[in-house]
Amino acid sequence: MEKKLYDITLNVNDTIVTGKVKAETSLLDFLREHNFIEVKKGCDKGDCGACTVLIDGKATVSCLTLALQAQGKKIYTLKSLGSWEKLHPLQEAFVKFEALQCGFCTPGMLMSAKALIDKNPNPTREEIREAISGNLCRCTGYQKIVDAIEYVTKGDHSEN
Amino acid sequence: MGNFEYLKPRDYEELLEIKDKLLKNGILFAGGSNLMVYIKEKSIREGTLLDISGLEELKGINTQNGSITIGAGETITSIMESPIINEKVTFFSESLHDFANPLIRNKATVGGNIGDSSPVADTAPILLILDSSILLESKGANREIPLNEFFTGPRKNILKENEVIKRFTFPVPVGGKGIYLKFGLRKGTSIAVTSVALWLSTRDNHFEEVKIALGGVAPTPIRAKHAEEAIKGEKIDLTKLKTLCKELDRDMSPISDVRGSAEYRREVTINLLEKAIRKCLGAEE
Amino acid sequence: MKTKVDIIGTRADGLDEKDKVLGNVVYADDFVLPNMLYAKVFRSTRPSAKIKRLDVSKARALKGVACVLTADDVPFNESISNVVGQTTEVGLLEAKHQVLAKDRVRYYGEPIALIAAESLDIAEEALELIEVEYEDLPAVFDPEEAMKPSAPKIHGDNNVIARWKLRKGDVEEGFKKADVIVENTYRTPRQEHAHIEPEAGVSWIDDMGVINIRLATQVIEHYRDVAAVLGLPQSRVRIIGTIIGGGFGGKEDVTVEVFLGLLTWKTKRPVKLTYTREEMGYGRQKRHPYILKYKTGATKDGKLVAMEAEIISDAGAYVYLSPWVLLYSTVHSTGPYYIPNVKVDSYSVLTNNIMTSAFRGFGAMQVALAYESQMDELARALDMDPLEFRKKNFLKRGSETANYQRIESEVLLEEAAKKALELLGEKSKGTSTKKIGRGFACSWQSYGRMTYLHDTASAWVSLEMDGSAVVRCGIPDLGGGQRESLRQIAAQVLGLKLDEVHVISTDSQVTPLAGTVTATRALFMSGNAVKLASENVREIIVTKAAEMLDVEKEKIELYDKTVYNRENPNKSIPLVNVIKECAKEGKMPQNLATFKAPFTDPITTDVIKDPVFADFTFSAQAAEVEVDTETGEVRLLKFAAAHDIGQAINRKRAEGQIEGGAAQGIGYALMEDYIEENGIPQTWNLTQYLIPTSKDLPELQSYILESKSGKGPFGAKGIGEPAITATAPAIVNAIRDAIDVRITHIPATPERVFWALRNKEKTE
Repeated sequence: MEKKLYDITLNVNDTIVTGKVKAETSLLDFLREHNFIEVKKGCDKGDCGACTVLIDGKATVSCLTLALQAQGKKIYTLKSLGSWEKLHPLQEAFVKFEALQCGFCTPGMLMSAKALIDKNPNPTREEIREAISGNLCRCTGYQKIVDAIEYVTKGDHSEN
Repeated sequence: MGNFEYLKPRDYEELLEIKDKLLKNGILFAGGSNLMVYIKEKSIREGTLLDISGLEELKGINTQNGSITIGAGETITSIMESPIINEKVTFFSESLHDFANPLIRNKATVGGNIGDSSPVADTAPILLILDSSILLESKGANREIPLNEFFTGPRKNILKENEVIKRFTFPVPVGGKGIYLKFGLRKGTSIAVTSVALWLSTRDNHFEEVKIALGGVAPTPIRAKHAEEAIKGEKIDLTKLKTLCKELDRDMSPISDVRGSAEYRREVTINLLEKAIRKCLGAEE
Repeated sequence: MKTKVDIIGTRADGLDEKDKVLGNVVYADDFVLPNMLYAKVFRSTRPSAKIKRLDVSKARALKGVACVLTADDVPFNESISNVVGQTTEVGLLEAKHQVLAKDRVRYYGEPIALIAAESLDIAEEALELIEVEYEDLPAVFDPEEAMKPSAPKIHGDNNVIARWKLRKGDVEEGFKKADVIVENTYRTPRQEHAHIEPEAGVSWIDDMGVINIRLATQVIEHYRDVAAVLGLPQSRVRIIGTIIGGGFGGKEDVTVEVFLGLLTWKTKRPVKLTYTREEMGYGRQKRHPYILKYKTGATKDGKLVAMEAEIISDAGAYVYLSPWVLLYSTVHSTGPYYIPNVKVDSYSVLTNNIMTSAFRGFGAMQVALAYESQMDELARALDMDPLEFRKKNFLKRGSETANYQRIESEVLLEEAAKKALELLGEKSKGTSTKKIGRGFACSWQSYGRMTYLHDTASAWVSLEMDGSAVVRCGIPDLGGGQRESLRQIAAQVLGLKLDEVHVISTDSQVTPLAGTVTATRALFMSGNAVKLASENVREIIVTKAAEMLDVEKEKIELYDKTVYNRENPNKSIPLVNVIKECAKEGKMPQNLATFKAPFTDPITTDVIKDPVFADFTFSAQAAEVEVDTETGEVRLLKFAAAHDIGQAINRKRAEGQIEGGAAQGIGYALMEDYIEENGIPQTWNLTQYLIPTSKDLPELQSYILESKSGKGPFGAKGIGEPAITATAPAIVNAIRDAIDVRITHIPATPERVFWALRNKEKTE
């Protein structure tokens, strides 16, 4: 049977993206179909956090967000964070501390880290662990991830 | 395959109109952290998704005349960070640190959590010991009932097909201490095996106000009325605490599942209540 | 001032990490091809049944479905492989595997049909249109039950599919000499890999008629399996590995490649297949659960005299790598200790449970729970300090193991244990309901594959005309920096900067095959291959340069694209000039090298009496726990790990392996359990199957010892698997210290600990 499709316009990384979606299409599926492949699908049920994006500054799982619900909001994925020429301090720190191995959880992890430091410029290690507790990592044991995020918040590493 | 439609009501009036027309086919969609899973698992296969996430009428955390109201559409994060809740019901905002994780808290709403009516809904035990009422509205009608009467079974409640959860109201708790102890199988995001919420006040070395709510040990979140009665008025004697807490046996009816056996749930809940009482009394662990 | 490159053992940033933090890396599921179909797998929902009727006609007829394949559509559906090293004495000698189930299903989740459709939605719709009727068959879910002659048979006429033995000395005489004997039965769970990236891949047929499969795999040699199933020459199938989003052994057996090969071969179109998280639960292999019955004896002055053990692993419904996992367990079953009298009997048994196969540790990890718990209890029985007791029995360089192998490397177990305990720092304070305890465990874990497999790895290294280098090596990159290590090694030998070396890997038709990224062999094998090839290239340069500089070869140094006389650095030539001269003579600076691991003869009896592994990594880990006696909850407060890795190639990466392995071991010890009830899965996604989050782990401290006595490049050993071996026993020993109760059945969930405490109170 023909599914009902809806026109959709989203603001992703400060660009306008349009398309057609079903009522129940998730933001994750929409983003990946529109070449935002840095947003990863790990479980599709909100358990792993690999699909984390920022919506109006709040980190959340895009697999449990309706694409249509994200209209009128500012969505940011990992690609908004830095560039080859100029990495964001968080990205630099992740490389410096090796806060990643396979890299699959990293896009989501960096989004949660960004949301944290925007809100709380001086978190304790406990608060860092709390902020990334929705992002599962199976490779690193989180140790160097916490080290990297803490490093960015100490001294003048944070960017606005 | 899924057969869904999407509608975003322009305002609250329109929402009630639509819900009155579509009845159970109109699915109230706020944060979607439970609904999206049901849709993907195909336990819900059709309906019109009513996007209520932006409706102002469902939002707001206010205090007036010694009462606090929380709009059903408030996210868990906004309750956690609300100055009113942090100041007047600190243990409520503290308890929410155990609600899933920040990513889920940023989208899940208290209305969605209560509306889902899981026996382990994390906001339920606290709202129950706060003696919260729940306001249900429909086109041309409304009713405010004690939250205690809302749940009828696992994922079942008294919500009519044309009704919407509007808000929760409870008196500001004074003169005592509250606490929520959730017990899960890991510190990170987990479904409660059992949970205990307690509000306690004392006078002249006796227990005065005692309100106990439990999650995960009955078909619904419950107030442990028998245990409350047994403890109220008793002299505070830490050596007799365990015996008093065993009165919970008359309130609980836990089941065994992959997360724990019934017997374990029983024992741990009793211990958790004892722990909660000790913490509220400021006693040594 | 010219110097040598000194890049081994540094904390150099990996070059691919920048791409990863920018989100530039394309993983398997990110690939899209024109005209691509989407695949789905139809799976059994019964653990043991005859397929009475299978009707795919409605699914085939659905608009948008390109094909539906069943067992009859697969050219060579069944494969028989020899179960290695088994004698004629026990059970099945041949292991049968099938691509799609025909007539009978043996586990919940077994693949029965494949669908390819124009969209994922249509493929999912088609899944629901497949009609199947089952007739339940008798089933067996307990491996000890399955060993009985009366048990329903999974394959052939014997459910025991592998058996190994250790026999040394005389255990009866040994136990007579013992002053203390400890006897216990231990149980370990099924563990799920739970890598964050699902199994995924895409396939297509290229313009030369070659079936290309691009997927996340630890083994690109699986092109041979695909070719066998399709009846094609092996040269007509090519596997290109992607950067893997976590493997840990979960992408070691065939995952999606055979299905993709089949569907592309049938439809002639590109196909994508990505598993759902649920499918990863009930459709893929797990770590073997074990039953370990141990009896160990020691004299009052703390010398081990005898050990007897019976080890049983649940192989699930198909054999896969079970016999090899069991071999690892058997060889490692004594622990890193010298025991004069040993009798071990191990069995791997088929059941109607989910299949079990490779997982980081590969059998050597389960036995560590048993042997380190035993050592801890023996120390208690002897009233001896647990480290002092172990010191009296540690293997040393030159010691002979229970399978008559001499230890060739240094053994730094005492140093490792001391360091791990020291790193725990000051003991935390408990309360009346929160008890603090500390424990440690020592372990050994082989690196490199079993030596009778005659393992080899090849690599190609060449210098470009401008002096930069290209390394081609088949080894896949699991995220542990396998590729980066090769870059570092080539750069070290050729005197180049890291970004002057480019590594191409993981293409079965373009890069020399280097074998699997498993068995902690990647650095050992591919690292040595690249070192060998680099040294051969260096030799070509040095020989020509010696001519040009008129000086002995031995005095030549390479650094920063300059070739010079070490004794007279002013006598130098640019590297590019040397290369030009080589090219003129047709002697290009390039080399294809093959590194061979030590070879031994195949094991011909089930008693293991010969060396099986090239070498071992020796480690120690220590833990401090807090046990809540009211709930049974165990909180890990402190953790430290010390490993002798021979020589770190990259310090950061080695630490990362140690921390990551420990995290998986902590999950294994406290919360991970893939549960099936009568063969029906109960914990098939990440809501029910719990792995540690950032809130569940303490600060993980790691310490690297470097004996330089390994067989890897520059004296390195391996760390991938050794990182996980000692974790669970360290935690269990800490719990024992905290509440005076030994948990013998892990994970030590709150409920298990609670009842163990309760039982102890009852008996007091």
